[in-house]
Amino acid sequence: MVTQSGVYHESYRADMQLRPTSWQRYRLAFVLVVVLLLPIVAGVRELRIVNTVLIASIGAIGLNILVGYTGQISLGQGAFLAVGAYSTGLLMIYYDLPWPIACLLAGFITAAFGAVFGIPSLRLKGLYLAVATLAAQEIVSWGVRVLDFIDGKDDDQARELAMPVINFVGTRINATGMSSERSFYVVAMGILIVTVILVTNLFRTHIGRAFIAIRDQDIAAEVMGVNVFFYKLLAFATSSFFVGIAGALTAIHSTNLTFERFTIEVSIEYLAMIIIGGLGSVSGSIYGAIFIKILPEILQDIGESFSGAGLISANDLNQFMPSIEQVAFGLAIILTLVFEPEGIKKLWADTKAYFRLWPFSY
Amino acid sequence: MMKKRFLVIVITVAILLVSVGPSYSPVSLTAQSDEPIKIGAIFDLTGPTSDVGQLYAAGIVAYVDYVNANGGIEGRPIELLSQDYAYSVENAENLYIEYVNEGVVAFQGWGTGDTEALRGRIAEDEIPFMSASYSAPLGDPEEAPYNFLVGTTYSDQLVILLQFMLEEWEAEGFTAEEMKVAVFHNDSPFGTSPLADGQAWGEEVGVEVYGVPMPRGASSFDAEITTHIVEGGATHVVVQNTSGPAALLLRNLEDLGLRDFVVFGCLNWCADEILIEGAGEAAEGVLGALPFAPTSVEVPGQEVVREWLAENDDRTLEEASLHFTQGWWTMAVMVEGIRLTLANGQELTGANIRANLETLENFDTGGITAPLTYTSEDHRGNRALRVYRVEDGVWVQASDLIDLRAEDMEEMSE
Repeated sequence: MVTQSGVYHESYRADMQLRPTSWQRYRLAFVLVVVLLLPIVAGVRELRIVNTVLIASIGAIGLNILVGYTGQISLGQGAFLAVGAYSTGLLMIYYDLPWPIACLLAGFITAAFGAVFGIPSLRLKGLYLAVATLAAQEIVSWGVRVLDFIDGKDDDQARELAMPVINFVGTRINATGMSSERSFYVVAMGILIVTVILVTNLFRTHIGRAFIAIRDQDIAAEVMGVNVFFYKLLAFATSSFFVGIAGALTAIHSTNLTFERFTIEVSIEYLAMIIIGGLGSVSGSIYGAIFIKILPEILQDIGESFSGAGLISANDLNQFMPSIEQVAFGLAIILTLVFEPEGIKKLWADTKAYFRLWPFSY
Repeated sequence: MMKKRFLVIVITVAILLVSVGPSYSPVSLTAQSDEPIKIGAIFDLTGPTSDVGQLYAAGIVAYVDYVNANGGIEGRPIELLSQDYAYSVENAENLYIEYVNEGVVAFQGWGTGDTEALRGRIAEDEIPFMSASYSAPLGDPEEAPYNFLVGTTYSDQLVILLQFMLEEWEAEGFTAEEMKVAVFHNDSPFGTSPLADGQAWGEEVGVEVYGVPMPRGASSFDAEITTHIVEGGATHVVVQNTSGPAALLLRNLEDLGLRDFVVFGCLNWCADEILIEGAGEAAEGVLGALPFAPTSVEVPGQEVVREWLAENDDRTLEEASLHFTQGWWTMAVMVEGIRLTLANGQELTGANIRANLETLENFDTGGITAPLTYTSEDHRGNRALRVYRVEDGVWVQASDLIDLRAEDMEEMSE
């Protein structure tokens, strides 16, 4: 196989391409085939999990804009998801909005909310900022437990929010069954694709470059003329917008929303996703979401096949599996941090580089 | 251009797939007479409530084994589809949808989080549902048509406990107006659930009842104690929270030298053996509203559990605790609904199981709970329990059965 020793562009148009090499285009075609085949071949359980991966991917991309690209640590992910989810439900119940409009508005509401909680980032950095965002988490978590309008009912109690019926092309999204999961898949996959295109391009603009400049060295960025405070707030708002959309998707995928879906554990799970997948990378966010959401399922399947082969009793499986899952989860994070701090995205890049350079690894 | 065309193709094809793809039809429930009966269950084995969740889960699994070892339900074995969900609502929903797709006819949940998140779905899918969450609205078939409560609701627990406290208070020569109850509760819908009904009762009889939220993960409740007991002047404390925080509250009271100045009571999630272990001496005299009989009091319903444990488990009933019998008998009620459906020669559907559960009248759990009666208007199995008291480190019975339903009926007939 003979290839050029580099990628050369002969026109501005070629220079602006997102996928300049033919291999990248083949990969895109392959991914598209998988995307199209998944809802046909997958069973209801698998598709349900794929759908949670799609939501998590959008949320992780949102978080990565803030943490990976702009370098502002946030522990408020659960809160931002909750704002997106509850806004969607409440807009639909109180204002009778159709769900796509409610979801979009929920994104903007979450963006505004995120920008407000981004204000401390002017003075606070690193761990201190993380604690400030923790406040967002606690405030929202308190709000959805005590505000009595939060359940969409006229009583003086804050209970779970019953979501209205959500229909997409004649199929109900938030029911139980294959057709629901399929139609949700179409919606969520469509939004994920748009998100990926938007965010990838965002970091080819002056705004994206300002975010990265702030992450790498905020003083240098300011000296170069980047309005650090403005761009930090913009990063919080942009990030929260996508997280809010992920929250909105969670809402339209559920029949009842409860505060227990948006706890601090969720914030930490999302941080784990972007660390394992790769900070400051759109594809890394997706790899991380896939890894974190699917690992427990794979372990469970392995366990069940052991139990099916008579190697371990079903009782023992129920007893030990949860501990094994936790060990595997912890191990995955530690091993990533030790051996590949740049995450799965880097592993993939290394693999590509290995084959491209073979047999001379320089 | 390439990309745009790709996108259009993707979306068109996907929409086509959804509209023409094979539509989902639920697995046929008209099974052959020897086919296993599938029941779904989610357990908290590793999550925040796993300390009691593991015991409750073991009770459910044990009852299924017990039924299968004794010939199944009308000759058909039970196949229990279950998994740990670590108290995550997302996991609960995923597992529920998976199990319903595999054809379960009934479902065992666990906590408030999953019970409330699934409430809408189970009604649409017609899946009878039981869990260890005893919020009063779950017993109202208009709001929750497929939820059934085996335990007394939190509201009824609180009212019964308050009635008992008032009786003892008046016997000591005090008046209702002098009684002031601080309800220390978990800062969540689970915690606040009985508060309004307790306050309504208080207004009727002239007792002041107010709520005090217990912050999650608190390492001391000294501030709450100072504000609401020392300055607020509470004479009685009732806790609606799990055993850990309740034991901590007791120890804080003891350390501040206030334990003897308040009458202390627990609703079911802190009235157990774990509270006594955690609070030690400070637990002496604590009152408990227990819908499920503790292991320290002998009732006939424990016999069969004891026997099963002796043969299949290395724990004694005391070690397995009342949460084991709670899981065991919750499953027993569900199985009874299925048994009746089969015995009446009906098709095994969720709707039929529900209809048959609604015919249960004074179903005897061997004294573990007060007899259970379900009707199409009321899915609260009973509104009655006995109050217990900690004496010398064990729960002993302090009252006879106090039955709110019977009291209501008396009032109506008068």
